[in-house]
Amino acid sequence: MNDLDALIQPHRVHRSLYTDADIFVTEMERIFGGAWVYLAHDSQLPEPNDFITTRMGLRPLILTRDEDGALHGLFNRCAHRASTVCQSECGSARRFQCSYHGWTYSNRGELVNVPFAEGYPPEFDKADHGLALLPRLGTYRGLIFGTLNLDAPTLAEWLGPAGPLIDEFVDRSPAGRVEVRNCQRMIFRGNWKLAWDNAGDGLHPTFAHRSFLVLNERQHGGARSLSQFKASPDDTGMYGLDLGHGHMFVDQRPGLQQSFWETQRPVPGREWYADRISERFGDDAAGVLEMAPGSMVNLSIFPNLLIKGNTLETVDPVSVGETRLHTWVAAAEGAPDEVNVLRMRIAEDFPSLGNPDDLELFERCQQGLAIPEVEWVDMSKGLGHTAEEVTADGVRRAPVTHEGPMRGYLRAWLELMSANAKLTTARAGETSFEKAA
Amino acid sequence: MVEPAASVLDDGLYQRLADMVSADSPDRGPGHTDLRPAVEQALYHEARLLDDRRYRAWLERFTDDCVYWVPLDPVADPRTKVSYFLDDRRRMTDRIGLLETGWAHAQEPPSRTSRTVSNVEAWPTGDGDTLARCSTVVWEHRKDRLNAFASRNEYVLASLGDGWAIRYKIVRLVDCAGDVRKFSFVL
Repeated sequence: MNDLDALIQPHRVHRSLYTDADIFVTEMERIFGGAWVYLAHDSQLPEPNDFITTRMGLRPLILTRDEDGALHGLFNRCAHRASTVCQSECGSARRFQCSYHGWTYSNRGELVNVPFAEGYPPEFDKADHGLALLPRLGTYRGLIFGTLNLDAPTLAEWLGPAGPLIDEFVDRSPAGRVEVRNCQRMIFRGNWKLAWDNAGDGLHPTFAHRSFLVLNERQHGGARSLSQFKASPDDTGMYGLDLGHGHMFVDQRPGLQQSFWETQRPVPGREWYADRISERFGDDAAGVLEMAPGSMVNLSIFPNLLIKGNTLETVDPVSVGETRLHTWVAAAEGAPDEVNVLRMRIAEDFPSLGNPDDLELFERCQQGLAIPEVEWVDMSKGLGHTAEEVTADGVRRAPVTHEGPMRGYLRAWLELMSANAKLTTARAGETSFEKAA
Repeated sequence: MVEPAASVLDDGLYQRLADMVSADSPDRGPGHTDLRPAVEQALYHEARLLDDRRYRAWLERFTDDCVYWVPLDPVADPRTKVSYFLDDRRRMTDRIGLLETGWAHAQEPPSRTSRTVSNVEAWPTGDGDTLARCSTVVWEHRKDRLNAFASRNEYVLASLGDGWAIRYKIVRLVDCAGDVRKFSFVL
């Protein structure tokens, strides 16, 4: 691991970042432990004593809300013999009992009961044998993050200029909150960073999504979904941002020729629901309908959250060559029901028609990366280009087809991988909590 | 470009679909044996059209007010939950049209499939249609992989004198809550 610097050059990245099992193990510790990692949205566990299970890198985690409403990140590992203590994806529980030998924990992580307690040595103290906890948790506009790194910046500092962009996403809802519904799960045979590269890649839609572009032109005509990438995307004003700390932003809005609603391909129920909205809201109907389509931006919060359309997609690595993507659909709180019904159908549209082509291409990349003697992946587009601007807060802005955002997240990757920060767990009651917004 | 027909999906149709998958719906008892042979032939025919990738002919087997639905939550109301997809005729036509562009990378090379349809049961719906349920396994081979998609399917079939048309098709994948490999052939 001494030569990580040599693997990331200004214009290219070494194939081993995608294929080396040792690098993957280190990433799962240092990136998915040392960064602020997205865990869940608070609407997934709204009530006292609710919980969800997830993973932080390869670490199984139970995120709980105690009876007072406070959040806790409990590692899903019995302090006795390591069995996971919770098997459900979500639910409500005050206690978690290990099925193996009956050790029982509170939803704050305290060990509350050990069966047949006689026989343990005198110094055995239940207070020393609770579940391990995340030492730091934080929230930003309903998004819950955690880190094992006591030296990490504050969550607000970590998000930096990405914070106001999260605000824009959330504030498309009249109530200023989103409510996460259910999730689409998919798995592909490729390294997790292929999905990450793609999230900041405004060069691929013209080619990777040609089927979707051609279909829309043939069937529906006009400036429909993704037509902004049909030819010369950089002439449309669309741009990408390298936000620092690995966060990326792609803004498609300057490329649209009409409203979000007019741009959106027709989805099932479009006419009936648009008519209902028109009847209810009259002259304001156009504004209400604008809430239904996706946000037309891609905001990627390193290392594992892709905010796109109306969805929160988590990048969940399984192994060096396999990755899960879980796409949680967000309803707009305070919006009419009709808007959120349309959001469900819209959230199926590109994901079922367009995303299969993305995943196919990720898998083709992983296949190509298998050749040891062909070592480098090119990411030089826009490097040193005069169109790249650096703003006062250090954000780098470039035309949408440039690869600056990818180079940006790889800098953050290298920093976390090289820093080798001390990662620690906490005991019940020791977690520090940051409400960043 | 031909502007496709408007969607027929409204709140009433959503309610009917939600009722069809509701966990509260009563058991219908054994299927009607007199309906079964003809229903089997309709389902086998549909399976063969899909295995042969004769998608336009497949689409012709559906009514104009049809719905083709692959839920992610097997008992959820589709108004409040996202599905793998819930298509009306317009989006079914798009799904086929996408494959016909020649640029659908996920189907290059295309999948080869063989589907087994079994446990066929049928009941009259009371309004001239027929409700059919079956178990289906689609074996898909593409590149170096053999995948299986197991599902419990529900159909509402409309009688068309000498034949059948599919009004609703619901594919309830057994692993709909798990990690599904993206598919872009027609299930």
